[in-house]
Amino acid sequence: MREKATTIYLGPQHPGITGNMMVRLKVIGDTIVSAQTEVGYLHRAFEKLQERRNWLQGFTLMCRFCVPESDPMENVYARSVEAIDGREVPERGKYIRVMVLELARIATQLMWYAGQNGSLGLYTMGQWSIGDRDYILDLFEELTGGRVYHMYQWPGGVRRDLPEGFTDKVLRTLDYLEKRLKDYDDLMFANSIFQKRTQGVGIVPKENIIEHGVVGPVLRGAGIRSDIRIDEPYEVYDKLDFEIPTQEGSDIWARALVRRAEVHQSIRIIRQVIDQMPSGEYFNKFPNPLKWIVPAGDAYVRVESGRGEVGFYAVSDGTIHPRRMHLRGAAYVHAITLLESILPGQNIADVSAIMNSLGTCAPEIER
Amino acid sequence: MKEIKDKMIAQIKAVFPEAVNKDYDGNRLDLTVNKEAVPSVLLYLKDSMGFRHLSHIAYVDWIEQGEFELVYILWSPLDKVKLYVHTRINRENPVIENIDMIWRQANTYEREIREMLGIEFTGLVAPDEFILEDWDDIPPFRKDFDTLEYVNRTFWHRPGREDAQDVRSTISERSGEEIPDFAKKYSR
Amino acid sequence: MYNDKNSKKIVETIQNWARSHSIWVLAYGTGCGAIEISPTMTSRYDAERLGFRGAATPRQADVMLITGYLTVKTVKRVVRVYEQMQSPKYVVGFGSCTINGGMYYDSYNTINLLDRYLPVDVYINGCMPRPEAVLAGLSKLQQIIREGNANGAEKYLENLAWYKENQRKIAPNWIAKAPDLNW
Repeated sequence: MREKATTIYLGPQHPGITGNMMVRLKVIGDTIVSAQTEVGYLHRAFEKLQERRNWLQGFTLMCRFCVPESDPMENVYARSVEAIDGREVPERGKYIRVMVLELARIATQLMWYAGQNGSLGLYTMGQWSIGDRDYILDLFEELTGGRVYHMYQWPGGVRRDLPEGFTDKVLRTLDYLEKRLKDYDDLMFANSIFQKRTQGVGIVPKENIIEHGVVGPVLRGAGIRSDIRIDEPYEVYDKLDFEIPTQEGSDIWARALVRRAEVHQSIRIIRQVIDQMPSGEYFNKFPNPLKWIVPAGDAYVRVESGRGEVGFYAVSDGTIHPRRMHLRGAAYVHAITLLESILPGQNIADVSAIMNSLGTCAPEIER
Repeated sequence: MKEIKDKMIAQIKAVFPEAVNKDYDGNRLDLTVNKEAVPSVLLYLKDSMGFRHLSHIAYVDWIEQGEFELVYILWSPLDKVKLYVHTRINRENPVIENIDMIWRQANTYEREIREMLGIEFTGLVAPDEFILEDWDDIPPFRKDFDTLEYVNRTFWHRPGREDAQDVRSTISERSGEEIPDFAKKYSR
Repeated sequence: MYNDKNSKKIVETIQNWARSHSIWVLAYGTGCGAIEISPTMTSRYDAERLGFRGAATPRQADVMLITGYLTVKTVKRVVRVYEQMQSPKYVVGFGSCTINGGMYYDSYNTINLLDRYLPVDVYINGCMPRPEAVLAGLSKLQQIIREGNANGAEKYLENLAWYKENQRKIAPNWIAKAPDLNW
């Protein structure tokens, strides 16, 4: 007897944390036979709006590309403008940027802890890790004035120097987080349900994995040591000592272990940054922003966000408005072609866990 | 880095003599080819020169020259070189060869470009709509599409927005509060 | 006895009081604001102590949070979800972009005024609102429910033609095909 496939719409209204997008699934019984991603629910046309705004006004837009992590987007915008303009960043500014980026990475991974476990029904983890993430948001608030969107890194440095006693607060938060990460391990990685639901599920095929555009923790979970921070060191990552964790399994479990190790590495990086932080200027002055003309040229810069490579292509035609801005997010490949190719054969109940583990971020895909 | 890049340029020039290159500092290398050569150049770069990772396909509308520009950005994990392959397409009849058999993820980029600029990719198999739904205007990322004019036509603005008045004066009038001198300087 | 005007009023008061303390929020993140919902709902701000909790499907939910800008494509889904919800139902507009378009006021794909398409009971301003602001807005909603003034759903039914006309303006093909209020 030949079974008939049923079409199921997963989204756009669904309680997953991956955002407002839809996956159209064809299923036989519980098993998926084909999947198609449909996006467009969050398209705000940032890049079109940016053409009507000047270079400095871009900051308020650019940090909003991917909601859970705004700092890599700011960094990549600031650095692309610096690359076209030839603007230098003082050493202290670079160190502060690295600190902000790594704090943002920890915050993203804590958000991911909640999402990954929420998709498997382990809601306690969300209560813990979102609560702990708030301590990092408090640090951001003190430093930049904003909890989620910071608008902090701009061409030539950062907007504000570290407040007094800020580094002590950061160190105290890191100590606290390190203690908490042990609890997370007990709750999550030692949990046999989590192990059974993730091991061998959502396997990304290892052959030609680079050609398929896979980046970030997903690539490292497949055993390839690739990270923009060492491949193309930006800011001061070449002066810092850290490891790139990799795993061999290429399933949700392996990617979870990679992300867990990344939090530890980020804590290590921030400690080094605070140790080595030089004194001095934190930004170089730039001309009147209303008349600021960036010379004609283009640049593509990349940054390693918590979900993988984020690239940004900026074109200037020598006026006060940018000619073109174009962002490439990690999810652009992961959530469409990769997700569509690995979902067939999986169970419906695992779709949301797979989406979380691939780092799906809907606002970044459609921008 | 310089030697690696020079060697690469020599290798590309030997196979594609018409390609124009431009050198930059650091690990950046630029290449300009005409649109007919794009698939063969990209295939050669991927298979024979180690540019395995397609990082991005960017698109720019150069309306003054009557051209669209596509920029394929490739990355070589082994040599750590970032290669930009530029190509220009006439705005009147924008057609270019589809490359999603070289890199599968190019399919997504091409769907977006087809929708946002109206460039046709020969042989592209994908659903018609990507981001927009029932769009009946010109493709929105073309420079001649005026987004504010479209908004005025389609949506409403909250009254009080268009005069761009400072809200502080309204608030102070309502509550009888004085605006401090330092703040007056910034009021319009 | 129940038709008596006074007892009707008493019953309504008790109903409203009970409703205001058990508000189920539809888990539908329509925009960036959804990121501040998770801190609001989890251990630090803990909205559940005030009676707010998440609901997975529209049929069980009382409140729809429009967490930020709505693109034209999302408006269609949001209207459909709103019409699927059972009365009494309330809408909270979340963030500047629902009030006047915010920073996306000139974007061709996002609507500017939410109250032209759906009846909004409470607006929370800010880009984005902090969890404290969200809690304040939700408490305000509780207050107007208790006072019996949260009548957005009735307004929607009374002015259905006007709302439908506005919705049709941005989505001509979709509303024509779709049934009205009968999902």
